[in-house]
Amino acid sequence: MKTEVIDYIKFGVVNPDQIKKLSVAKLSVPDTYNEDGYPIEDGLLDQKLGVIDPGLICKTCGARAKTCPGHFGHIELVRPVIHSEFSKIVYMILQSTCRNCHRLMLSDEHLKNFGSNLGIAAVAAAAEEEEQGEGQKSSMLKKLKNIRKCERCGTVKGKLKFSAPTYFYIDEYKLKPDEIRDQLLKVSNDDLAVLGMDGKVSRPEWLILSYLLVPPVNVRPSITLESGERSEDDLTHKLVDIMRINQRLEQNLNAGAPQIIIDDLWELLQYHVTTYFNNETSSLPPARHRSGRALKTLTQRLKGKEGRFRYNLSGKRVNYSARTVISVDPNVNIDEVGVPQEIAEKLTVPFYVTEWNIEKAKELLQRSQYPIVINIISKDGKRKRIIDANREEILKSVTAGDILERQLMNGDIVLFNRQPSLHRVSIMSHKVKVLSGKTFRMNYCVTPPYNADFDGDEMNLHVPQTLEARSEAKYLMSPEFQIFSPRDGEVIIANNEDGITGMYLLTRDGTYLTKSEVSYLLSLAGIYDMPKPSKGGLYSGKDVFSMILPKDLDFEMKTGAGPFVVKKGRMIEGTLNKDTYGRGRNPLMTKIGEDFGPQELKRFIFVSSKVADAYVTLAGTTVGVKEYKTDEKLEQERSRLLNETFERCTQLIRDYKARKLEALMGYTLRESLERMIIAELNLVREKANVFLAKYEHEDNNAFQMAQAGSRGSILNIEQMTMFLGQQATLSGGRIKRGYYSNRVLPHIVPNDIKPGARGFVSTCYYSGLAPIDLFMHAVGSRSSEVYKALLTARSGYLYRRLSNALQDYCIDEDYSVRDANNNIIQTIYGGDAINPINVQLSKISAKKSD
Amino acid sequence: MAKTLDKDKEKYMVQYGEPVGMIAAQSVGEPGTQMILRSFHLAGIESTISTSGLPRIVELVDAKKKPATPVTYIYLNKSISKSFDKADEMQKKINEVVMSNITRRTIENFTKGTIRFLFNRQELELEGLSPKQVATRLEKHLEVDAKAEDEKSVTVHMHTKNLKLIRATTVKILKSVISGIEGAGKVMIRKDEKTDEFYLVAAGSNMEGIINVDGIDKSRITTNDIFSVYRLFGVEAARNALAMELKKTLDEQKISVNQRHLYLISDAMTASGTPKGVGRHGLSGEKNSVFARAAYEETVKHLIHAAAYGEVDPMKGVTENILVGKQIPIGTGSVRLTIKKEDMAKIKSKKD
Repeated sequence: MKTEVIDYIKFGVVNPDQIKKLSVAKLSVPDTYNEDGYPIEDGLLDQKLGVIDPGLICKTCGARAKTCPGHFGHIELVRPVIHSEFSKIVYMILQSTCRNCHRLMLSDEHLKNFGSNLGIAAVAAAAEEEEQGEGQKSSMLKKLKNIRKCERCGTVKGKLKFSAPTYFYIDEYKLKPDEIRDQLLKVSNDDLAVLGMDGKVSRPEWLILSYLLVPPVNVRPSITLESGERSEDDLTHKLVDIMRINQRLEQNLNAGAPQIIIDDLWELLQYHVTTYFNNETSSLPPARHRSGRALKTLTQRLKGKEGRFRYNLSGKRVNYSARTVISVDPNVNIDEVGVPQEIAEKLTVPFYVTEWNIEKAKELLQRSQYPIVINIISKDGKRKRIIDANREEILKSVTAGDILERQLMNGDIVLFNRQPSLHRVSIMSHKVKVLSGKTFRMNYCVTPPYNADFDGDEMNLHVPQTLEARSEAKYLMSPEFQIFSPRDGEVIIANNEDGITGMYLLTRDGTYLTKSEVSYLLSLAGIYDMPKPSKGGLYSGKDVFSMILPKDLDFEMKTGAGPFVVKKGRMIEGTLNKDTYGRGRNPLMTKIGEDFGPQELKRFIFVSSKVADAYVTLAGTTVGVKEYKTDEKLEQERSRLLNETFERCTQLIRDYKARKLEALMGYTLRESLERMIIAELNLVREKANVFLAKYEHEDNNAFQMAQAGSRGSILNIEQMTMFLGQQATLSGGRIKRGYYSNRVLPHIVPNDIKPGARGFVSTCYYSGLAPIDLFMHAVGSRSSEVYKALLTARSGYLYRRLSNALQDYCIDEDYSVRDANNNIIQTIYGGDAINPINVQLSKISAKKSD
Repeated sequence: MAKTLDKDKEKYMVQYGEPVGMIAAQSVGEPGTQMILRSFHLAGIESTISTSGLPRIVELVDAKKKPATPVTYIYLNKSISKSFDKADEMQKKINEVVMSNITRRTIENFTKGTIRFLFNRQELELEGLSPKQVATRLEKHLEVDAKAEDEKSVTVHMHTKNLKLIRATTVKILKSVISGIEGAGKVMIRKDEKTDEFYLVAAGSNMEGIINVDGIDKSRITTNDIFSVYRLFGVEAARNALAMELKKTLDEQKISVNQRHLYLISDAMTASGTPKGVGRHGLSGEKNSVFARAAYEETVKHLIHAAAYGEVDPMKGVTENILVGKQIPIGTGSVRLTIKKEDMAKIKSKKD
């Protein structure tokens, strides 16, 4: 088969001659099958239009179902109808051309104003040049619309009225489609060119239909229900309607029926043809199925999210893919994925037989157990399944150029993906690791880019089928090249949650381990040397961590908890936490990436995650009620803070009532009061946080986690041990109204604006919420839930619009950004052509040179 | 430092074919879901309430003609900027007072042909106006016979009993600007604690009107209204303003997105010479490719247009090539390898 590459696609309107040429049958019977269940000749499912039932042979091409591509037929309409989707264009032309001389109604001199002084051809050329052309064209059309008399022959235009979808009136006289066609026929190609149309591919008279192209049966297959009953496609139904009316119209015409009946039937024919193209035409009732469901006709097939374009063309279903639930396995490396044996046996990888690997190919072919060859694709493109019976024969005949499809094996490159694929790291390549079980296994360090968790998430796996695809996947899409985010160069693949707690515990001052503990931890990391013991035969945690750091790493950083120092690969000072070990702006990992490269960084992440895991398990950490227990001192501080705040708020209100309150600049007194109260309520939360940060100890595991940055914050502790604080609403203000007479609940005095009455919750989770507080909390929760739902829908649409607008932009050889037409969008990308993925890395480099 | 950066620069540069547009779209689109409800942590006592978070991003990217909450920051000339009195004076000069803002009640007397506007005295005081001033203003600008008959109202004598005319005049007067600059909105005085300077914040974006007021530092005036910047200073300024507004909005949400992405979006939106939104009426709707437009929104409209006008799809973009199953001309797909026949022969002979 000869293949060619599409260079460009030119659109046009199908003309009657083309229809006749394309069509293999003139259809005249408005029915589908006869009583025997056989397609009726010249009916809508005539076997000349192709076959879809197995066993039948196409009368046009002689092929069977699945190989016959289908063939068009046509219906000859006894009276022409207007193609409703084009009626606006018909209107535009009727408006612009003279009824008498059939020229554009503007004189050459006037036309010049809209183009250059060269006349018609030049205006047409200008119209081609989009930008200015469009503007000129629209002003020309406006002028043509408002013109009263033809400037060429002086004929008065007459009042043209267009009523959607297909009615045209001139001076209150309703134009018949054939009259419109007669007029359109006489418009010259030159005049059309001025209007921007190309008469060679789209003559306006073609928009008035006398021949209706009938799509092949493959486009509208009938389905056989279980009961043996046949059910036809919506398009077939619609075409039957058209043919019926067409036939009735013909009979009436032949019988010389009165004009009014003819006109009625003609209009009905127009209705059916209109709804055949678009069953959602405004101002027309949709054609319905017997069941009352609106028919899905041509436009509906193309349109929208479930339409042909977005559902089948922009997104396609693929082979060589698998989907199952994911689960964790810390022993799977970050660039690996654990694939269930069952899936590995089903998916195939092409093995291209060459003269250099033919021995290996034969070896594979001989196998009868797990990695076996499933299919062989010979040079002529025929795929044959390998079974024991034909193995010997194939073994003999296999030559260079054949392709074997062998089962998925360890080390194969696959693409791994989780929806929604919001950014490029939602699809990365992993190396296959075949495992028992039924789930995909992945390292938890790669969950953040996929935004995956293991509460039942499913993920997809795809096997690239060409060498090019495989190598691109391996060298561009592997997780080690995606550790830094292209958004801002921050780390997005890193240990998280308990892993960070583990490293925090291991490396904080005062952690000492016994020899056996150290050898256990390091053996997990694949390190078989021991660090130097520091005191009393014990090993410091920092030294253990140093063993997994790159040998020559020098690093220094100021953190919130004091300096962090690594010298010559040995950790001297500081404690690992979210800032140095977690996701986000992480100078330590950035430094490793910059100095030692992605492979080393990948090793560091994987190895350290194992050590961290093992150490939290060893040291043990948990969060329980103990963490959130209040005690007397806490309780005292809580009431002191709350009383103080309430007192201040009451004072503010008192001042306000006594008109002593001073208004904030630019606000009314009332607004000022509200703002001051809100400020007070924020302040008390901050004060409580400051107090807790000092009060809580390292032996509180929740506090410890907050310190390490692995999970939770002081705010969470505060909400559990002290008070919840102000509950927000959608509008951003305090909760108000909700109940008659300006109060939230009947328990509240009307017009009360004290904190408690307006959504300030002063109880905590540990003590339990007071009834009113519980209500206020629920108001806040519901509000944020609603907001979240709204937000995801809106942000999804924002993303779709952005990506659609910007998807064609890419970097050219000169570092300029170009769109699909090679227009320059930016002369130098970002002003300096620096890739944002490298911005953090380059900072390290800049620092080094200082 | 700059030198070493230059030396190593190539290492950090973007590579040929890099789909920077898509990456920029993802960089802004992906964190969209993370944007949070404006919480109380941000609401400082003096902060102005303005659109933020996702709605603001949508507004910017759509290139809305007018922001939902326009704000103009007006700085004063250095010579007067430290004086509160001067700032107050400027505030009075600019602050837009609409008749309806200060009117408590209107009484139309159709038999006598008068309209009486009763003022809200507190508001009147706040704006530093007297009924007399209002009357003169009305007389001058609307050419009506207005008289301040007492301390709390102004009466307009229509000298006609035409109901329609009286009602129309009432509406007209209520909408009219009594003092300040039209479109400037409510103006507040703020103090920059760092420089000890007073500046004005206007809840409107008529920068064209405001900028010509004497005493204003023209070099420092800013607004969040992109089109106002565009009209006054041109596309380049609009592009910068757009990028800055995007940055500001993302920063508020503590979402870090590199400036280059935002610059690319802004440049794309302003590349044609006027700010254009990214949606179906902007960038996406103006693509050359019929298929790309059809696959985005309003499928049938684009196909019909293409057929009638004999459009050509050049098949140079991403969507259209995906539709027909071709490799996309971006990234590794934009590289074509050609080899001369003679060279191919050489390779073959080497192999043997």
